[in-house]
Amino acid sequence: MRQARLIATGAMLAFCLFALWQSLLLSLTDRLGPGPGFFPFWLALIGAALAVALLITTFREPADPATDATPILPQGPGASRWFAIVGALAAVTIAMDFVGFRIAMLVFNAGLVIALGERRWWLIALFAVLGSFGVHYVFTHWLDVLLPDGRLGV
Amino acid sequence: MEALGHLLAGFAAALSVKYLLFALAGCVLGTLIGVLPGLGPAAGTAILIPLTFNLDATGAIIMLCAIYYGAMYGGTITSVLINVPGEAASVVTCIDGHQMARQGRAGSALAIAAIGSFVGGIFATVALVVVAMPLASLALKFGPVEFFALMVAGLCLVVGLAGKNMLAALLMTVIGLLFAMIGLDPVRGAPRFTFGVEELFDGVGFVPVVMGLFGVAELLLAAEKRQARMIEADLKNWIPTKEERRASAGAIGRGSVIGFVLGLIPGVGAIVPTFMAYVLEKRVSKTPERFGKGAIEGVAAAETANNAYANGAMVPLLALGIPSSPTIAVLMGAFIINGLQPGPFLFQERPDLVWTVIASFFIGNALLLILNLPLVGLWAKLLKIPFSYLCAGVLIFCIIGAYGLKQSLFDVWVMLGFGIIGYLLRKLDFPIAPAILALILGPMMEKSLRTTLEMSGGSFAIFLDRPVALALLVVPVIVIGALLLKPGTFSKLRESDVD
Repeated sequence: MRQARLIATGAMLAFCLFALWQSLLLSLTDRLGPGPGFFPFWLALIGAALAVALLITTFREPADPATDATPILPQGPGASRWFAIVGALAAVTIAMDFVGFRIAMLVFNAGLVIALGERRWWLIALFAVLGSFGVHYVFTHWLDVLLPDGRLGV
Repeated sequence: MEALGHLLAGFAAALSVKYLLFALAGCVLGTLIGVLPGLGPAAGTAILIPLTFNLDATGAIIMLCAIYYGAMYGGTITSVLINVPGEAASVVTCIDGHQMARQGRAGSALAIAAIGSFVGGIFATVALVVVAMPLASLALKFGPVEFFALMVAGLCLVVGLAGKNMLAALLMTVIGLLFAMIGLDPVRGAPRFTFGVEELFDGVGFVPVVMGLFGVAELLLAAEKRQARMIEADLKNWIPTKEERRASAGAIGRGSVIGFVLGLIPGVGAIVPTFMAYVLEKRVSKTPERFGKGAIEGVAAAETANNAYANGAMVPLLALGIPSSPTIAVLMGAFIINGLQPGPFLFQERPDLVWTVIASFFIGNALLLILNLPLVGLWAKLLKIPFSYLCAGVLIFCIIGAYGLKQSLFDVWVMLGFGIIGYLLRKLDFPIAPAILALILGPMMEKSLRTTLEMSGGSFAIFLDRPVALALLVVPVIVIGALLLKPGTFSKLRESDVD
C-alpha cells in the first residue's frame, strides 16, 4: 500500500510539474492584471510543494506489514468482474461511435450481465432489449435527450 | 415576513401537478438509489442528472433535490436489513438498526427512521426559511474580495475535516483546482491546457467526472466484494410501540438540531452529525448499555440528524453559493447546467425558483414519509436485485449522463478514466470530496481572485483592508495551523476517523 501511495503521489507531482511548465507558456500578468497563467502557475507550484511534502512523509512512515501487503488491484473472482466492467465500458464507447447506442448497448448489456455471472438466457435477453431499445426510446422520445446513432446511422 | 410571503407563493407553484410529480419521481428514485448498496447520494444524484436534461430549471432542481434526500433515507433500509449502509451517513444506523432487525423489530426501526427523517427534514427546512434570506442579504454586500475569501474558507474547512491526512487532502484540492483550469480562461478567453483538443475548450465536464469518481468507481469497488445477505424480516408490523415512540421523541428533537447546525458548516460530511447525535443519545441515556444492542433511540437520533443535515446543507448552497459536500456540489453542478448560479443573487434574480424549490422540500419530506412507512416491504425486495443487473443498469445511466449533456463520446472516455482514478484514490485513502468541491469552485475562485487583483493593481494587501474577507481568511489559517501544530485536532469531526 505504501509503495502504491508513493507511486500515486509521484504521479501527482509529475502532473503538477507538467501544469507548472504549461502555465509558464501562458502570460502570468498583462497590463490589466493577472494573466491566464497566473492562477494555474501558483496552484501548480503549491501542488508540487505539497506532493513533495507528502512523498517525504509517506516515505518516512513506519512500515505496516498488514496494510503494505494489501493489493491495490483486485484479486481472485473480483478481478474478473472488475476487468469485465472496465472492458465492457471501453468496448461500448468505441462501438457506439460505429453502430450507435441501441446495438452497442444491446451487446453491452447482454455481455456484461453474462460476464458478471447471470445465466438465465430469457432474463438476459429481456434486460438487453429493454436496456438498449427501451432506454433509447424513453430518452429520445420522452426526455428529448439525443443519443448516438453511430456512423452507420443505426 | 417577506420570506413567508415568498414561501406561500413557492407552495402555490410546488403544489402544481407537474412539480408534485417531479418531487414524487425524485423521492422514489432517490430511495431506490439509497436502497441499492454501494450507491451513495452523490453517485445517485449524478447518474440521474440525464433524466432532468430537458426539464425546466425549477422542475430539474426539485427532482434532483428530492433524489438527494430520498437517497439519504433509502440508505437506512440496507443498514437495518443487511447491515450494509446504502450510503456513508447510514453507517451509524447499522449499529442498532441491524440489531433490532435481528430481534425481529426491523419494522419498528424503519418506521422510526422514516418518522425521524421527516421531522428532521421539516425542522431543517423551517430553519432554512428563517436563515437563508438574511444570510443571502448579507452576502449581497460581498464583492469579489469577500467571495474569494469565502470560497477559500469553505475549501479549507473541507480539507481540514476531510480525512486523516491533511497533506493528501490539500493536494487533492489543488489537483481539483488544476483540473478546473482546463478550457477557456474565464477572464480573457484564452485556451489553457487544451492541447488542441476541441472537446476540452469547454473544460473537463463536471458531470462525467462526478459520474466516474462516484458512479463507476463505486461499482468497481463493489465488484470486488461479495454481496451481503439480507435478514428475512417481518415488515407488516411496522408501527412502533408506545414505549418505542416515547423513547425516540427526545432523540428526534436533539438529532434535528445537531443535523441542521452541522449542515451549515462546509466539509463536515453527513456521517459526522449522525455520529454526534448517536453519541449524545448514549450519553444522555439512563441505560447506555442498551446502545449497540438494538436501542431505538440510536436509530432515531442518527436518521433524524442525517436528514436534518441534508436539508441544512442547502443553506450555504442557496444563500452563499458554497457547496458543503460532494452531493451538494453535484446539485450545484445541476444548477449551473440549467444556467443558474446558486448564491445570494439567485434570491434576487429567480425568487420564484428558489422558493418553489424550498417549498418542495416540505412536500418531498412528506412524500418520503408516505412512501416509506407503508411501502417499506416493497423497498426491501429491491435488495434482492443481483449485482450483475444493478451494475449494468447503473452503467446505462452513467453512459447516457456522460454523453447526453454535450453529445460527446469523449465525455464517456472521461467518465471511464475518472472511474479508474476514483477507484485507485479510494483504495489508497486519498479523499475525493475536496477535489470535487475544488473542481466546481475553481472557475469562480479564479475569477474572483483576478478581479480582486485587478481592482487593487496587483496588491494582495486588499485582503487586509476588507474586514469580512480578513475574518474569513483567518478561518483556514486557524484550521490548517491547528492541524499542522496538533494533528489530533478535530479528529472527532473527521469522516475517516468516524468510519
